[in-house]
Amino acid sequence: MSELAIRRGAAPALAVEGLGYAYPRAPRPALADISVEIAPGEFVLLAGRSASGKSTLLKAACGLVPHFHGGEIEGAVTVAGLDAIESGPGELAAVVGYVAQDPETQVVSTTVAAEIELPLEMRGDDPSSTARAVEEVALALAIPHLLGRTVDTLSGGELQRVALAAALVTRPSLVLLDEPTSQLDPVAGDELIWLLRRLNEEWGVAVLLAEHRLERCLAAADRVIAMDAGAVAFDGSPGDFLSWSHAADPALSTPAARLFSLAGIAPLPTGVRQARQALALREIGVGATAVEAEAAAPADPVLDARGLWVELVRGDDPRDVLRGIDLALRRGERVALMGRNGAGKSTLLKTAAGLLDPVRGKVGVPGGIALLTQNPSDYLVRERVGDELPGEAGTAALRVVGLEHAVDADPRDLSGGERQRLALAIALAGQMDGEALPGLVALDEQTRGMDRSRKDDLVALIADLAGRGAGVVVATHDVEFAAEFAERVVLLGDGVVIADGPADEVLSGGWYFATEVARVLDLPGVVTPEQGAAVLRGADGGDG
Amino acid sequence: MRSPFAYTPRPGPLQAASPAAAVAYLGALAAVAFLYSSPLVLGAVGVAVALAGYLAGAGSAVRAATRLGLAIALPIVVVNALVVNRGETVLARLGDWPLLGQVDVTAEALADGAIFGLRAVVVMIAFAVYSACVDPDRVLRALRPIAGRSALTATLVSRLVPVAAADAARLRDAARLRGPGAAEAGRAPLARRLLAGSLDRAVDVAATLELRGYSLESRRAMHSSSVGGQTRRSWRQRRSRHDRRFYLAGALVLCAAIAAKVLGADDFHAYPTIHLGLGPATVALSVLLVLSGFAPYRRKPRRRRV
Repeated sequence: MSELAIRRGAAPALAVEGLGYAYPRAPRPALADISVEIAPGEFVLLAGRSASGKSTLLKAACGLVPHFHGGEIEGAVTVAGLDAIESGPGELAAVVGYVAQDPETQVVSTTVAAEIELPLEMRGDDPSSTARAVEEVALALAIPHLLGRTVDTLSGGELQRVALAAALVTRPSLVLLDEPTSQLDPVAGDELIWLLRRLNEEWGVAVLLAEHRLERCLAAADRVIAMDAGAVAFDGSPGDFLSWSHAADPALSTPAARLFSLAGIAPLPTGVRQARQALALREIGVGATAVEAEAAAPADPVLDARGLWVELVRGDDPRDVLRGIDLALRRGERVALMGRNGAGKSTLLKTAAGLLDPVRGKVGVPGGIALLTQNPSDYLVRERVGDELPGEAGTAALRVVGLEHAVDADPRDLSGGERQRLALAIALAGQMDGEALPGLVALDEQTRGMDRSRKDDLVALIADLAGRGAGVVVATHDVEFAAEFAERVVLLGDGVVIADGPADEVLSGGWYFATEVARVLDLPGVVTPEQGAAVLRGADGGDG
Repeated sequence: MRSPFAYTPRPGPLQAASPAAAVAYLGALAAVAFLYSSPLVLGAVGVAVALAGYLAGAGSAVRAATRLGLAIALPIVVVNALVVNRGETVLARLGDWPLLGQVDVTAEALADGAIFGLRAVVVMIAFAVYSACVDPDRVLRALRPIAGRSALTATLVSRLVPVAAADAARLRDAARLRGPGAAEAGRAPLARRLLAGSLDRAVDVAATLELRGYSLESRRAMHSSSVGGQTRRSWRQRRSRHDRRFYLAGALVLCAAIAAKVLGADDFHAYPTIHLGLGPATVALSVLLVLSGFAPYRRKPRRRRV
């Protein structure tokens, strides 16, 4: 914890007392009797499963709840001395900044400079102080080169930084972030978290960050608040949080903590650095043992790309997004397709599915392909599941994804995971020979905003699809998820394949595209907590 | 894919000028297109706006607007030729048509239609150059004090239109990816889905505007206008050193066009026979108009010899 940054004794950055809230027409409250206080300059991580109330608490702290969403509210919320229930989001904008999950919907101007200037202009600041504030926040977030650009030419990571700059330009005492890294690749995600930590330390701004991928940000946090069913289930230090989650809700645990827990080492580490220090102190030698990667058995190719070049045009600027890709995927394989934002993952899948035409080379999917794009809701256009999937082909597809019981349901009433499986069934329908799947099932970035239990369900579904004989390829930024489901990882960089091999090998061979366990142990082939624990138990026993 | 008409920041004088100066300049050229029927003058205005667009770096917008304008102009020429039977130079007698009766295609009707078409092309190019070169944020900022609600609506629309276009492209892709055993997506369900998505997006954008303090500004504006009757705004539009150039060019173009019109420069009529006068006033105005297209010219910085 940064003692200088946290100015104890000053008015709290956020004080919530007995807060209860229910959205309009909601059957049960989203928040129930929440009482928390965040000191100025504190960096607090808000953990919890999906629908536990994290986003609602953030919205209450910036005034969107109840002023924008309506509903019934009780209790008190004070932000830097301002009553958030009495004051609207406009008044609160001076003391609190808010950054939501989807950067696309957080920009309202055409150019980056205008977007960052807007809150100051609304406040009535004069042009000279506005220009200085914009320049300073742009320098702090390393985006001065973006100021003259239009927002529709920015990448997701750049857009998220611009949204953060617009939230910070008024120099608020508190900034709220709702899963800001969920759409970012590991590199951009790590950069954003450490940028927040730096601003927290240098500017003294308090940070309340809601995240699912806790391994990304636990080490940066001073404190963790865990929510469950709209109530605070835990409030304490990151170290204590790991001990609590291990006993109360293991789905909230981090891979490094699970590694230590399985290996019987205490205390549980909050990050890679602490884990390495703990292992060094115990003199557990790592680096000697490597897990042998199993060679994949050759089978029929279900995707065959040869010398594949694809060009996309953005404005006046055509760009080769895929540059001579050679790739073959086989039946029954579970493959993670990884790489930075813009590396060409989605383009490769769309080209395989026939949505894009190559400018050179060819790609074939001999057994057919079912592609689920990034937004499964795009597939759901009717108000009854049975109307989306009529006939025997539809029923067979619903059976494959385990939704045969939901024929009469409205897709909007299904849970997020069920909607995703329904969309997959729509893509599969009619492509199956009886219960046999098409050659390739491709899923594009399906884990955004998912908690670990839903990811586990997806891992099981992928294993089932591969077990039925389909090759399954998943484009993802989530290295921990890739380590769970994939047997092979293809890493794209700027439109070319820069690594292709067994998952254990690829995910332990770098830093950004490596699991937390791989970064702790730095052992070839060791990427999951279970593998790491086996190595640690062996090393510990061997060393005496 | 980005629209060629979308605003692109560039370091040119037209982009740096205030919206009012840019509108004065391009608006004056468009006004001349409405004032005159002489093909020479209209052609000169067309050359001027295209030149202005190319010099401002908006060549793709000029080309796209020309294509679009020609696609609109061609039907105008054809329809005018079929519907209007005036004119003495009959090029073709097409007999009796239902509703239209006797259809004679005359050179005069074709010329008259071509003038309408040319005017449409010129105005579209002028608008395309405006769209590609004038920062909409600055336009909205200028509008806010005088028409807050309209500016808010324009802000929402200007943000939501490209987002809705991207949503529509995604929905089309998803529709193409439905398996052959799934029900066809259909236009009506897709449109409903797009509308529902747009409403969700609108709510998100409105929430962002709230967080940026938009409602605060409208309240402050109301308060300040009600107290003392004067709204003192600390925010001022930034002026550009190029503003004077565009105001001057616009004023010169408009004054010259009006003066030349009074002097009989618009010496063209299509009926009963085509007459095109090329008097000194017409020629001088046309030359002036073409020269006005150089207003966005940007001198390269001189290198100082050491």
